[in-house]
Amino acid sequence: MAEDFYLYIRGATETIPPGYTESGMRTYRHLVFLGASQMIEAHFPELRQQLGEPAWKALLQAFIRQSAWTSHYYGDMKDEFLAFLARESDREDT
Amino acid sequence: MTGLGYRGEMAGWDISAIHADFFEVAPENWIRRDRTPLYKLLDSGRPVRLHGVSLSLGGQAPIQHDFLKAVRELMIDISAEYYSDHLAASGDAHQLYDLFPIPFTESEVIRVSDRIKEVQDVLGTRIAVENTTYYTNTGDMSEVEFLMRVVERADCNILLDINNIAVNHKNHQQTDLHHFVTKLDLHRVTYMHVAGHEFDQRFNLYIDTHSRPVEATTREAALRLHELHNIPILLEWDNDIPSMVTINQELSWLKTSTST
Repeated sequence: MAEDFYLYIRGATETIPPGYTESGMRTYRHLVFLGASQMIEAHFPELRQQLGEPAWKALLQAFIRQSAWTSHYYGDMKDEFLAFLARESDREDT
Repeated sequence: MTGLGYRGEMAGWDISAIHADFFEVAPENWIRRDRTPLYKLLDSGRPVRLHGVSLSLGGQAPIQHDFLKAVRELMIDISAEYYSDHLAASGDAHQLYDLFPIPFTESEVIRVSDRIKEVQDVLGTRIAVENTTYYTNTGDMSEVEFLMRVVERADCNILLDINNIAVNHKNHQQTDLHHFVTKLDLHRVTYMHVAGHEFDQRFNLYIDTHSRPVEATTREAALRLHELHNIPILLEWDNDIPSMVTINQELSWLKTSTST
């Protein structure tokens, strides 16, 4: 059940896990997106404007979906984001 | 005693002019950073308590002993006697840097209290866990029953967040403040948190934003517990932080009961 909960929050599924409310689940998904976007925007202040709103949102959503962060330090998300961009770029090159 | 959650945004303030008897900081923000601002707080003659955000007591990832050793080192460095974190998960087997609900079930009581015991064993000290807001959850017991089962089995303390009880009651209409408090073992409560919250119409839920003044009912409930049981109160204001004058006004309201 925990797995389904986090799949929804990551945006990997649209199925609400049994026993949870849709509004509550949407709130958690929103809060995780907000946390990630605030940290990335603080480190890369021009990226959002350069990409435009839809592409920025899609990039952040893809970043969160694949995330496997283990650091206790929220600020380390910046390095995870750079590693994610490098992986995505490699994938597009092959 | 009235405390204030110290934020980096307050670094430019005249510390001696803040009307707080103690401060609280997140260890995650200071373990790897220059601690000069913390030493300034201590130099002003007031202690600093630690309140973590990433321990993920309800998560599936192994407890990271290296992180706890770093917390221990920080506690020694700043003579911090208190360390707490949330009765919540920060993600599944990974960090998502938010606070997610732990299902209120007996199997989770056992799993989570074992994790708290592990933390206490590594630190060599008792910790406190904070009752958190939840926007949706599952389980077959009430939140306060779950909290008490966990803290008794883990033999840990409680950081009682009055605002979170109020937010959960508004959102879920389950346990009101009075009923919640009567079910607690107040001897385990180290201190209280108060904060403000906001209604978010996108989700039709009250969100624990820590961005607003404390609601009168929350403040009065905290003051009552303070007067009856001498439990300190700490103000959290983490977003849209106002001027020091406003913070001091808010702190002064937490020192005097309006009903007396």
